[in-house]
Amino acid sequence: MNIVEAVLQSVTQLPPFPAVIQRVLQLVEDPKTSARDVVEVIQYDQSVTANVLMVCNSAYFGLRRPVHSLGEALVRIGFNNLVEIILTRGTSFLFFQACQGYQLQNGELWRHSVACALLSQILADRLNQKKSPIQFTAALLHDVGKVVLTGFVRDHFEEIRRRVQEQNLSFLEAEKATLGIDHAELGGMIAESWKFPPDIVAGIRYHHTPFLAPEFQDLVSLAYLCDVVALMTGIGGGADGLSYHAYKEVMEQYALKEQDLEEVIIDLESRMKKVEGFLNVP
Amino acid sequence: MNLIVGMGGIQVSNDPKVTIVTYALGSCIGLTVYDPVSRVGGLLHYMLPESSTNPEKAQSNPFMFADTGIPLLFQEVYHLGGDKRRMQVKAAGGAQLLDDSGYFNIGKRNCIALRKILGANNVLIQAENVGGQVNRTVRLEMGSGRVWVKSSGDGEREL
Repeated sequence: MNIVEAVLQSVTQLPPFPAVIQRVLQLVEDPKTSARDVVEVIQYDQSVTANVLMVCNSAYFGLRRPVHSLGEALVRIGFNNLVEIILTRGTSFLFFQACQGYQLQNGELWRHSVACALLSQILADRLNQKKSPIQFTAALLHDVGKVVLTGFVRDHFEEIRRRVQEQNLSFLEAEKATLGIDHAELGGMIAESWKFPPDIVAGIRYHHTPFLAPEFQDLVSLAYLCDVVALMTGIGGGADGLSYHAYKEVMEQYALKEQDLEEVIIDLESRMKKVEGFLNVP
Repeated sequence: MNLIVGMGGIQVSNDPKVTIVTYALGSCIGLTVYDPVSRVGGLLHYMLPESSTNPEKAQSNPFMFADTGIPLLFQEVYHLGGDKRRMQVKAAGGAQLLDDSGYFNIGKRNCIALRKILGANNVLIQAENVGGQVNRTVRLEMGSGRVWVKSSGDGEREL
């Protein structure tokens, strides 16, 4: 069996993606979805409900009176926030564990994922775009391929590192050259196997190579930008470091200047502090 | 005992049993100062070069920026009995993406700010490990003043 076959084989050993979260993802894609539809899907899932209430009552929202039920949560924090909490809490199980190949301790890939999701909100604000749970989800899940590829990266780390150092490749290119597949490509395949909506699949698949995306250009470019800004801050940074290509074209696409990135980073620091309380809970 | 410095944070100490540590410096810079005679020192983890980017933020958290954070690091160590003439100054971080465009060069600008501020105050950097594409972890041992840098994908080395 060659390496790519072995990688694809190990995808089948991933835990199943929670059906209730998958259903929420599908609902979010449908413009006719109402808040009530979402509440109906999750209300029988105790762990999702408990998680929603925990986050609602955390410092992040700073509510004066505590929230006791899903219905109340919806009224107090709104539909987008509710969906984002469900998706965040519902996917932490995937990202929380350590990824040895990338030299990430317990919780570090999760920190990076949450930082990217928060950046999608910050950038949407700055670009005067409507906040979208789809964009949020693409940013949150963009590194899902690392969860599977980590073991293979660990086993071939020296070779990957040599390619990065001697051939001047990005970490992604070195993964591809060494293993025959990289974490973005693999992530796209995993997302497809879980039947994620095609725009989220594209966001994951092309988060390092936004110009190769055949469609969903805006979502993919933003997912890319969220990732590179998070990498620059070092939040949940691993063995791959900052060995990824910076594309000024994405900055030009949004008419962003260097100063904008600095302000985005300042904003991210405050928001990370607010989520700190539940970042350490898998 | 480890004292951990978060993003845009600082720790100073005069306890020889303490190690001050900061994790995952990307484009941020970890700056250590240490007086080997009075055995006091500190570590600053700043994120951005200039407080003028957001003066309001610089009020609430001056440690986030080089120009407001670096003077405060020195002052806090002076308060513990540190002497400027004996101060050992070391720096690590300031990594960059693979970028030819200059749009993403916060790491580089963090390094420039460091040299400018220290140079203007006649402070020499004794050792540094900056730039490249790696994440870094920095530890300052208060008992010995030794500084250790661990780069991603590599072992830990004394700076």
